[in-house]
Amino acid sequence: MSEQIHGYLAAFDTPADIMHAAEQVRDAGFQRWDVHTPFPVHGMDSAMGLKRSRVQSVTLLGGITGFTVGMSMVWFMNAFDYPLIVGGKPLFSPLFAFPVAYELTILFAAFGTLGGMFLFNRLPMHYHPVMKAVTWPRATDDRFFIAIDAEDPQFDADRTREFLQEIGGKDIAALEP
Amino acid sequence: MSSSAASISSAPVAPALAGSSLPLGIGLAGLAVAAAGFFVDGPQAAAAGWLTAIVFWVGIAVGMLFLIMLGYIFDAGWSVVLRRQVEHVVSVFQWLAILFLPLLLLSWFYQPDLLWRWMNPDFDFASVGGHGTVATDILYAKKSGFLSMSGFTLRAVAYFGIWIGLAALFRRNSFSQDADGDPKWTLSSRKWAAAGLALTAVTSTFAAIDWVKSLEYHWFSTMYGVWYFSHGMRGALSVLALIAIIGLARGTFTGVVNRTHLYDVGKLMLAFTVFWAYITFSQYFLIWNANIPEETFWYNLREAGQWKWVGMVILFGHFLLPFLVLLSYKVKVVPKALAAIAIWILGTSLLDVCYNVLPFRKDALGEPLPFLNLQLVWTLAAVVGMGGICVWSYLRSFPTAKLIPIRDPRIQESLSHRE
Repeated sequence: MSEQIHGYLAAFDTPADIMHAAEQVRDAGFQRWDVHTPFPVHGMDSAMGLKRSRVQSVTLLGGITGFTVGMSMVWFMNAFDYPLIVGGKPLFSPLFAFPVAYELTILFAAFGTLGGMFLFNRLPMHYHPVMKAVTWPRATDDRFFIAIDAEDPQFDADRTREFLQEIGGKDIAALEP
Repeated sequence: MSSSAASISSAPVAPALAGSSLPLGIGLAGLAVAAAGFFVDGPQAAAAGWLTAIVFWVGIAVGMLFLIMLGYIFDAGWSVVLRRQVEHVVSVFQWLAILFLPLLLLSWFYQPDLLWRWMNPDFDFASVGGHGTVATDILYAKKSGFLSMSGFTLRAVAYFGIWIGLAALFRRNSFSQDADGDPKWTLSSRKWAAAGLALTAVTSTFAAIDWVKSLEYHWFSTMYGVWYFSHGMRGALSVLALIAIIGLARGTFTGVVNRTHLYDVGKLMLAFTVFWAYITFSQYFLIWNANIPEETFWYNLREAGQWKWVGMVILFGHFLLPFLVLLSYKVKVVPKALAAIAIWILGTSLLDVCYNVLPFRKDALGEPLPFLNLQLVWTLAAVVGMGGICVWSYLRSFPTAKLIPIRDPRIQESLSHRE
């Protein structure tokens, strides 16, 4: 490889084209590549061969944390730190702690989801080499792109370009790092 | 895609038991056993079991009606392929109306306080551990404008009339569209769904108040109609999941229903599990917190003897277990796993209805009759019997229409529904 490039960006015109192209890239065994579309294309996850998101495990963790925090907070405040009888009720009962624990479960599960999403999709990302390509702005308008990373084990400067042409990619551009 | 849809539906694989008289036989046999309880165990035991079964199945059928209307009102795409099965199920209302009739007739002509004690002004509460009669009860006097025999009867007629009417309307619209493909049927259904949702919400709420809550007419709970709605939705979604899974296993739905449809039904099952818990907990919590005798006695009855353990099984079995199981993605898309949890939910739903209906039967000391009692036999027989009638009605309706609404404007979207 004479010059160092980040990868290739290939354009497609319709959601159907990008879907079929993604399936072929997936079947060719590429690992480090991505699809850029102006809107969500349903079924793209399986066309790209993506596994299910791992965010839900962080959500569950957040939910369990929230529930525990809610229950123990009410116990700590009402039965331990400042024991106070209200309305003839016991100092602690899971019943009156439940609404608080329930709300905190939802709140912390939502925090977990948000944090988990940022953790796994590595956002915010302020710069990415695809943004330098002249064709790129139309990814937010009416064109569909596949970017294959040069770090992919299968990547080869000539053969990957030919492959992208074969699967119908247009305006194939080499990306500067 | 539309041509493949047409070819699929032109040669549907009949569901299991199609054309068989087995469900009708099981249904009639179950009802006969349930009716035998009238002579073996006394009229009240049999009537209470019959009422439990009616409440259980009507709830599920009402949930099915809600599913149809929710689909139209939200203009949902994904659920269209499954809607036809729901339309077959709502053919059961007319039979459930006939099955409700014995309870009305017994109350009018045999023994007015058989189930609903307020129907007899001379009912003496001493027989169930209280004092005074209904006529001298200030709480009855305050509610007598609503709780009257004629009002009860007219309302029951209105509930079934509205449900039968709405079911017939949505069935006609959907079946007619198969023939001519005119979108006006969808527009008509959407308009009727808006009115029907309000009507069904009101009728099912009042049905729960009339049939179940008024068994202990001293009691207050503004959550009761919503509890019945959540029962119905959980039951309806579980039955729908089972219909889809049986159809997939038999090849009836091959190429029509995919795992994403199952996933969505599973998600709704999870949502309504949480919803049911929310409603049921809120009802308990408000009564526990306020601690007013007119309200707490209802739960005190249900914390006596075996009913306490029934309550625990409902708490952990009807909420916690389905909740934890349905959180998993795999359970929602693996047919066998989803079928198992759907059957489980139907079982615990029945337990929940028993818990709400049966403890009104009390001994002379005011203690509720235990759960494990001969009345359970009549209850289960009635549930199986009415279930058999419902399955028979579904199978009778099944061959009268295409497998899926092939000309629904959203059928394409539903067939190609993917995650």
